[in-house]
Amino acid sequence: MRPITHRLGRVLLHIALSAVVLYSTLPFMWTFINSIKTKRDANSRVPKFIFDPTIESYSAVLMKKAPENGLQIGLGLIAILAMLVLLGLFAKRLPVRTGYIYWGIAGILLLVAWRIPTLVKTTGFYDKFLNTIIIASGAVVISIVIGSMAGYGLARYTGISGVVILLAAIAFRSLPRMGYILPYFQASQNTGLKDSYLLVIIVLVAVNQPFTIWMLRAFFMTVPREIEEAAMVDGATRFGAFRRVVIPVAWPGIVATSLFTLLVVYHEFILIFILAQTKQTITVAMAAFLGGVGDQGGIPLQSAAAIISVIPIILIVLIFQKQFVKGIGVGAVKG
Amino acid sequence: MKRRTFLQFTAPSNIVMAVLLIFPLVYATWLGMHFITFRTINEPAFVGLDNYRTVLADPAFWGALRWTLVIVVVTVPLHMILGFVIALLLDQMKGRTRAFYLAASLIPMIVVPMIGTIIFKQLFEPQGLIAWAYKSFTGSIFVFNPTSMKWVILLHTIWIITPWAIVLFFAGMQTISQEQVDASSIDGASRLQQIRHVVIPHLRPLILLTALIAVMDMFRLFDNVFVLTRLNPVFRADTVMTYNYRTALDLRRLGLGNSVAIILVIAIVVALVPLLYVTYRDQIKER
Repeated sequence: MRPITHRLGRVLLHIALSAVVLYSTLPFMWTFINSIKTKRDANSRVPKFIFDPTIESYSAVLMKKAPENGLQIGLGLIAILAMLVLLGLFAKRLPVRTGYIYWGIAGILLLVAWRIPTLVKTTGFYDKFLNTIIIASGAVVISIVIGSMAGYGLARYTGISGVVILLAAIAFRSLPRMGYILPYFQASQNTGLKDSYLLVIIVLVAVNQPFTIWMLRAFFMTVPREIEEAAMVDGATRFGAFRRVVIPVAWPGIVATSLFTLLVVYHEFILIFILAQTKQTITVAMAAFLGGVGDQGGIPLQSAAAIISVIPIILIVLIFQKQFVKGIGVGAVKG
Repeated sequence: MKRRTFLQFTAPSNIVMAVLLIFPLVYATWLGMHFITFRTINEPAFVGLDNYRTVLADPAFWGALRWTLVIVVVTVPLHMILGFVIALLLDQMKGRTRAFYLAASLIPMIVVPMIGTIIFKQLFEPQGLIAWAYKSFTGSIFVFNPTSMKWVILLHTIWIITPWAIVLFFAGMQTISQEQVDASSIDGASRLQQIRHVVIPHLRPLILLTALIAVMDMFRLFDNVFVLTRLNPVFRADTVMTYNYRTALDLRRLGLGNSVAIILVIAIVVALVPLLYVTYRDQIKER
C-alpha cells in the first residue's frame, strides 16, 4: 500500500510503532535495569529508576573471582577483538581469499573463547557457553549439509516418493518431544553415547530435519534448472553441479535456514535437559538458576545471567535480519 | 532427476529421520505398554493397554486438554489480528526506521522461550514493574493464583508468538503488486477497503498457514507454562505437554508418560489430516 503522507498520520504511526517496541522490549529493559542494580535496590517494592549502576552481577555471573591483572586481560581481549574486526572489514582488500580470512577470524575467536578460563577463574556459566557453541555449531553444520542435499533432491525430483517424504516431514515436525525422550534415553545408555556432545548433536539434527528440508527445498525451487543443466552439459556430474553451481546461487537461502536452525537449537530445552546432564547449554543452565531465586544472588544476578545468555542470539539474528525476514518470506515455515 | 539420484541425495537425511524419528516412535508406543520407573528402567514390566486406559480415565488429562484448547481458541486469533495490524504499520515505514521497528518487534521470538519467560515473570513478582503498577491502580496486591496465572500464561503466549505472525504477514505484504493497489485506489477504494479487498485476499494462503502452524505450536506449548507455574499443581494450569512431563518425570511413571505422548501423537496426526491433504493436493498439482 502507498505510505500515508499526512503529517499527523505519520506522527500517529510512529507513536503506534513505539508502543509496539515498548510492548516487545519492556521485559528486557526492566531486566537490564535490574541487572545493574544492587540487590537492595532491586528488591525495593516501589521500583527505583534512579540508582547507582554497578556491573557486579555481570562479573559475578562470569567469574568466580575478579583477577588481579583484570585490566591487562580486559585490554588485551579488546585489542584482539579490535584487530579481528579490522581484519574482517578489510578482508576484501587483502590478497587472500575472503572466505579463508573469515574462517580464520572464527577460528581465532574460538581459540580465545577456549583459553579464557585459563586466564580468569570463570564460573560454570562460561562452560555452558562453550557447550552451547559446540552443540549449536555441530547441529547447524550437520543439519545444513544433509538437509541441503535432501532439499535439492526434493526440489528436483518429480516422483511420488518425494511427496511422501514431504508429508511425513510435516507430520514429524508437529509431534511432541516427550514421546521421544525415553527411547532416546535408553538408546543413549545402551550405545555408550550417554552424556556426549555427539548424542545431543545427532538428536537435534534429527528433530530439526523435517523443517530444514522443507525450507531448503523452497530455496532450491527458486534456482533455475538451466544453470545446473548447463554445468552438466559441460561435463560436471550431478553432485559436482550441485556443489559448484547450485549451492553458490542458493547461498542466501542456506544462510537463512542456518539462522533458523541455530535459533531452534538455541531454544531447545527438554531434550538437552534430559539427554546431557553435564553438557548443558545456556538455555538449560538458566533453568537451574530458577531454583535459586531466594538467596543465591537474587534478582540482579538472575537478570545479568538472563541478559548475558540472550545477547549472543539477539546479535546474530539482528546482524542477519534481512536474510532472516526474507527467509521466512520464501520458506514460510518455522521450527 | 532420476529416482536413483534422488535417493542418493536424500539418503543421509532419510536415514537420520528413520533411525531417530520413526523407529523411536514405534519403540515409544511399545514402551507405553509397560510399567517403568527410573529404578526399573532396564526391566520394564508389560502391562498391555493399562497405561493408555489410565490416562484416558484421568480427569487431569481432560482438564489439561481443555485448558490447551482454551489457549488455542484465545491466542491464535488474537495474535494473528495483532500481527496483521503491526505488519500493516511496519509496511508504512521505509529503510532504516522500518529495520529498527521490525528488529524490535521480533525480539520476543528471538529470545530463548525459557529465559524470555523468566524475564517476563519478573515483571509480576512483588518487586516487579507490573505488580507495582497493578498495586498503584487497584490498591490490592498482585498475587499468582489460578485465575491470574492463567491470564499471565495467555498474555505471555501471545507476546511470544505474535512476532511470527508479524514477520509472515510482513513478508507476504512485500509481494503485493503496487499496480493492484493503485488500481483499487483509482477506483476510489479507501484504505480500509484496500485492506479488505486487496491485502487480505492476497494473504489468504499465508493466513491459513499461520493459523495452522500456531495451532500445532500451541499443542506443543511447554517451556513458558513450565517456567511460569514451575509445575505447581495449585494453579491447575497444566497444558497437555506439562501434564505429560508431570506424569513422566515428576511422578516417575515413565511408561505412563510415554502412553500420554502416544495418545497426543495420535490426536495431533488426526488433527493434521486436513493440512496433510491440502499439502498433498498442492504437491501433486506442482508436478
